[in-house]
Parts: sequence; structure tokens; C-alpha cells
Amino acid sequence: MPLSCSQLSVNYGRRRALHGFSLAMEKGEIRALIGPNGSGKSTALQALAGLVKASEGRADIGGVAVASMSRKVIAKKLSFLPQQPAAPDEMTVAQLVRQGRFPHVGLFRSYDRRDEEAIEWALESTGLAGLADRTLQELSGGERQRAWISAALAQEAAILLLDEPTSFLDIGYQVEVLDLVHRLSRERGVTIIMAIHDINQAISASDRISLLEKGELRFDGEPKALAESGLIEKTFRVKGRFVEVAPDKPPHFDVELTKLPPSNS
Amino acid sequence: MSTKASAIGQPSPWVLPAAVTLVLISFLAAVFLGIVDVPARDVLSALTGSGSPEARSIIFDIRLPRIVTGILAGVQFALAGLLLQTITRNPLADPSLMGVSQGATLTVTMFLLFTVYLANPNSHSVNELPIAWLPPAGMVGGMFAGGIIYLLALRLDLSPLRITLCGIAVGAVMHALAIGLIAGWGSARIEIILEWMSGSLYARTWDHALFLLPFTVVGLAMLPLIYRPLILLRFDATVARSFGLSYRRQFSLVLLVSCALAASAVGAVGPIVFVGLIVPHLARFLAGRHFPLVLPLTIVLGAVIVTLGDLIGRLAGGAEEVPIGVVTALMGVPVLLALLRKIP
Repeated sequence: MPLSCSQLSVNYGRRRALHGFSLAMEKGEIRALIGPNGSGKSTALQALAGLVKASEGRADIGGVAVASMSRKVIAKKLSFLPQQPAAPDEMTVAQLVRQGRFPHVGLFRSYDRRDEEAIEWALESTGLAGLADRTLQELSGGERQRAWISAALAQEAAILLLDEPTSFLDIGYQVEVLDLVHRLSRERGVTIIMAIHDINQAISASDRISLLEKGELRFDGEPKALAESGLIEKTFRVKGRFVEVAPDKPPHFDVELTKLPPSNS
Repeated sequence: MSTKASAIGQPSPWVLPAAVTLVLISFLAAVFLGIVDVPARDVLSALTGSGSPEARSIIFDIRLPRIVTGILAGVQFALAGLLLQTITRNPLADPSLMGVSQGATLTVTMFLLFTVYLANPNSHSVNELPIAWLPPAGMVGGMFAGGIIYLLALRLDLSPLRITLCGIAVGAVMHALAIGLIAGWGSARIEIILEWMSGSLYARTWDHALFLLPFTVVGLAMLPLIYRPLILLRFDATVARSFGLSYRRQFSLVLLVSCALAASAVGAVGPIVFVGLIVPHLARFLAGRHFPLVLPLTIVLGAVIVTLGDLIGRLAGGAEEVPIGVVTALMGVPVLLALLRKIP
């Protein structure tokens, strides 16, 4: 199993951000992590990446405890894209993407053809080849987001953790990112878990969904089952219904733009 | 695919050669010019081994050791500033801000007080002051301050803003203690402290240069080892760690290197303020987006600024020369203001 965790708990001071979170991912699976703000999605991703210390439970990459691996070993197997990462403004796209090769080249080895190819592939996959020389400061929010995704891709890890990869992107680029995620999973067998806010994107782009609420796992299963569970309305405290869009596809959630119950007309 | 060469960040070809030429020019100017007017012909013959003993003494015993000490100290201050600014992600970080200079001042003051005053109550016997011991004494204080900052930062989990604030606080306390010692002390020795505190290359000998040399060499030798981590340390810890960096270890290593560079330099020549702050900014400004250039430019400009600053101080003041620390402070302010205009 490429990535799994069991009974993972994380505390920030006295606040319990994640409580007994478990997950088991198949190779090439796309997992969407959904839940209200502050439900522990980012914490779960960071705990899986070994970036925050779990007070209980453990995360494993390929059956080996993440806590026992060095950052370099983890980075070769797993790449993590945090939410709204910050970089020095004068850094160019190419320079940022090159940093993704750090776990491979280490402190001294010079970049060889293999590394340059990975960088080129990462830039092309995110449509940034033409912008490689721009500084991050000169990019739009969407381009910057893609530059970061590109850096994560350059790591060429078999596991990809994305924290809200579609935020700040217009719908065109949102679809592009989801499409890229799909291609990585199906063509390269990359195992992907992403925190995402758009429920319909989560439903249509993922193989399985984990729903978090207040740091606890409320649901783990296929999108269709989530639609039938009625948990979306309850967890997010909204009214809405699932509508069928195509017979062989999971339904879409149609939300009512008011929290009030409909009047009896 | 765009041009691959420029994607890697090929430097503009002229910047570095120009900077190296500037080092040579300022070095030669510093050798040839001085308060004592030695004709250029005499300087040349002294350098080639002939010439009058007087000229040889001025060149080899006074000017050269002073210039070499200045260059080494300049490189160390500039490099220490760049490293501190990088790991704290704070453009204002500098050995003087981070408490290293103040720590050195405190131990130098204490050293003079205890070794001389306690051993020899006649407070006017300046001759017997163990000036040769000042560099290591200052070095100890600087490293001590760095150690306190390191421990505080570790406890506070190495947040860059906090480490800067810790540095300022530690520096303020040590500075206050040093001033308190000086104020409650009162003697002819204050002159030595004041001269040292203003950052001066006056009467620096080959001993000072030899004291600094190992630090400069080791510091420069460490650069290939910390070059890639330095790029990653400019990101958030989370990002750097996801890229595979052992953040804590590399942060500590770079902090140690910068403290050793700064503390030894402060020990040898006193706190030459603003070099550590200004030079990295100047280097970044000249390098633009070619950040592989920032490091070599910082080293080269550190040497140039201290050499030229000291030359100006030597020539401007006449017999009463202006300490290099004062010159760099006066020159540094307009440069800083000019560079700040570039920052939004």
C-alpha cells in the first residue's frame, strides 16, 4: 500500500486538530479530502507528509513509518504542496521548479539530463514552459499556483499531496489542474490525495472521498455512497440535493443559496 | 520550451569580472595611498623587495596587514549578513542586530576590566593592556550571544521573526551591560574600548589577519556545502522540508557559520556596522534575478567596501583618522535609503 495511516491524532497546544484519522490508499488512487474550514484537512495532509508530529497513531509510506524517515527520503517518495506557499519574489519559475529536484541531487551532485528532463516535463505539464524565466512576482495568482504544482511534480514522487490546489484559479485552470491530476494517476500511477473545497469537483474527480468534521473522519468511501449518505447537508449545514447529470456518473450536489428552510409555497 | 540556458539563470557576463577588478583597484589604491606620503616608485620597490627600510616598514608592517585584515573582516561581515538575512528571511538581519556584536563588546569590556584592572590597579598604564587578546575575547562573546539566540530560537521552534526579536533583545541586554561596566569604570582604558567599539582597522597587524584567516577560509569552504540549503532556507519551513531539506539541521549549521564569521570579525576589528546589512542588499540589487551571483558578489563587495571605507577614513581625517565603522555607517545610510526605495 503506497500510503496509509491509522488512528492519527494531532494536537496544536491544547487544541485537538485531528483525532483518530485513518486512511488506506491504493496505488494510482485519487482521494479527495473534504470538510468545512478548520475540520483538519490541512493537518491530516501535513501529518501524512510527516510535517507535523502526530501525538498518536502513525502514517506509513509503502509500509514504512514516515516518522522514521529523513526529509530527503520522504521527499523522494512523496511530494506535498502546501496551501498558499510563499517564495522569494525575485525567484524565477525555473528556479522554483529546480528546487523540486533537491531530494534527488542532494547537496553536491550536479543536475544531469534526467533532472533537466524532469524539470522540463514539470514545466510543460503545467503549461509554464513559456514562463520559465519570469519571476514569481510577475505571475498572476493562477500562474503562481501552477508554478508550485510544477515544483511538486519535478520531485517525481509516486505520492502527491495537494492542499487546495484549485484555490485562486479560474474555472479553466481548475479543470486543467484536475485533468492533470487525473492524467498523473492514470498514466503514471501516481497516488494522489487532495484537500479541496468544491464538493462537485471532489465527487467527479476522485475515486474515493474522505469527509472530515472537527478533526474526525465522518465518511470514507466512493463519491456515490457519499451522495446517498446525506452527510454533505449535515456537515456543511446547508440545504441542497443531489442531481443526476449522467447515468454512469456520480450525481452533482445542487446547493440552495440560503440556509433557511424553503417557505411553504 | 524557452531558451534553456537562461532558464537556469545565466549571469550577466560582466558583473563578476567588474567586481573583481574593483577589488584589485581598491586594494592597490589602499596600498599606494596613505597619510604618510610614500611615492608610488618607493611603494613599488618596497613591494619587489628593495627600497628604503622606511617605505618597506610602512607597506609591510602598517598598510598591508591592515588592508588584509580589512578584506578578511569585510568578507566575513558581508557573508555573515547574507546568511543571517537568508535564514531569518529578514532583510534587516545583520550581526549588529542579532546580538553578536553586542556580545563581543560585552566580553571585550569584561576582559579588559578583569585582566587589567584587577591585576593592576594603576588604571593609567595603557601599555600593559593585553590588546592581542581582544579578538579571541570578542569572539567568545559573539559566539555566546549566538548560542543564546540559538537556544531561544530552538525553544520557540525557530520561527524567523522570533529569532530576530530574540537577537535584538539579547543584543540590547548585552549592550546595556557593557555600557554599564564602562560607565562604572572610568579610566584611560575607555579609549581602547571606544576605539574598538567604533570598528577600527587602526594598528591592525599580521596577527589580526592570521587570527581571521582560518575563519574566512573555513567559512568560504563551507559555502558549497550550504549553497543549496541556503536557497531552500528562503522558503517557509514547511515548503523547505517538503522539498527534502532537514530544516533544523541546516538552519543550525548556517546560523553557526554566520555567528563564527561575525564573531571572529567583530573580535578582530570591532563592530563595523552596516557592512553585514548593506553589502548583501547591494549584491542582490546587482544580481537581480540571477541569484547564483548574490553569493560571490557579497564576498567581493564586502572586501571592496571595507577596503575603500578604511582608505577614505585614513585620508579624510588626516592624522586623526576616522574609524572605518564610522565611515561605513555614514556611507551605509544613503545606500540603505536608496535600496529601500526599491522595496515596495
